[in-house]
Amino acid sequence: MQRIPFSLAEPGMVLAKDVVRGDNPNSPPICGKGLELNETLIERLRNLGVQSITVEGHPVSMDGDKTLDELLKDLDRRFRRVADDPLTGVLKDIYRNRIIRSMGE
Amino acid sequence: MEEQRDEIRSFIMDIRTLPTLPGIVTKLNSLADNEKSSIQEMARLVSSDQVLSARILRLANSPSYGFYRVATISNAMILLGVDVVKSLVLSSSIFEIMEKSVLGLWEHSLGAGVAANIISKRLHLPECEEISTAALLHDIGKVIIHLKLEDKYVDILKMTEEKEIPMHEAERAVTGTDHAEVGGWLAKNWFLPEKLAIPVTCHHDVESTVVHQAKTAVVHLADILIKAAGFGFSGDECVSCIQPAAWKSLGMTEAILAEIVEELEDKLIDAKNFSLEIQSADEQQL
Repeated sequence: MQRIPFSLAEPGMVLAKDVVRGDNPNSPPICGKGLELNETLIERLRNLGVQSITVEGHPVSMDGDKTLDELLKDLDRRFRRVADDPLTGVLKDIYRNRIIRSMGE
Repeated sequence: MEEQRDEIRSFIMDIRTLPTLPGIVTKLNSLADNEKSSIQEMARLVSSDQVLSARILRLANSPSYGFYRVATISNAMILLGVDVVKSLVLSSSIFEIMEKSVLGLWEHSLGAGVAANIISKRLHLPECEEISTAALLHDIGKVIIHLKLEDKYVDILKMTEEKEIPMHEAERAVTGTDHAEVGGWLAKNWFLPEKLAIPVTCHHDVESTVVHQAKTAVVHLADILIKAAGFGFSGDECVSCIQPAAWKSLGMTEAILAEIVEELEDKLIDAKNFSLEIQSADEQQL
């Protein structure tokens, strides 16, 4: 799944997480996950001030079209000075898993 | 080296060489110190400067605080607290320079504010807003070093990259001080409360403080998280070690950290939107 700015939403995308109101993130969801987006729905969500949504798959290329390998290499580069530190290693593993998950499906 | 350190110190402590600080600051300080003054009085004072109010509201509505639609200065004062608004008044003029001069540092600071907000809320720490503000300000010393010693700043960046050392070590080697200490001087000069000044001063050395250690630990961790996420550019892309003292003082666990990262990644999309909006708004103004 991928989190995208709402301006990049397109018909055919499938919601991977519930959508909540932009101005009150703690309100009940206004749109359930699993729903496929269409023009009308996008228009309605836009009018409700939704800023970003999470969709299935990885439909939008951001970050300059990086592949999984490149993203992991970037991660290694950012963590290169702390490769042996156990606590920071925990954080790196969390990020590694997240990247793999977000690029999968 | 000592000489240089003293020179920089006198630069910072001399308010005349600081980028235009609004005269409102002194008035606001004296109002805030006076027990009899009301929020409305302070709000009226800040609102009298429209540009300043706009900037404060912009920051108050940023994802760093997690409130949306703070529409008036008195709302901001009630929601964020007088101390926070005071430091926002002070920092907004610095931030304006930051947006333009130190590319990426603005995004790094904004992101750190977002991360600190998520961490402190997840851990149910008191004074979340103050912690977010401290995180927003944590690298303010870099702006000053960049402003005052521009050629040295270039040397610092070069040394950080070539020698593979953290940026604050390169700063110490080149100037005899570092951005955390400079930030601390600035905070003192601005009469910021300790709960903001100490996290700024000690964010690279959590163990060195006992007072406000949890707040310092949050800022320390937020700085690392935002580098790990690769969001913005603080002058050094490398993640530094999470200090055991910070981990311990927050009672952090792997599971909690994973939750925080998950939430942070979602919020950073909003923060990116916010940063882009500000950039385009600034371009329109030019």
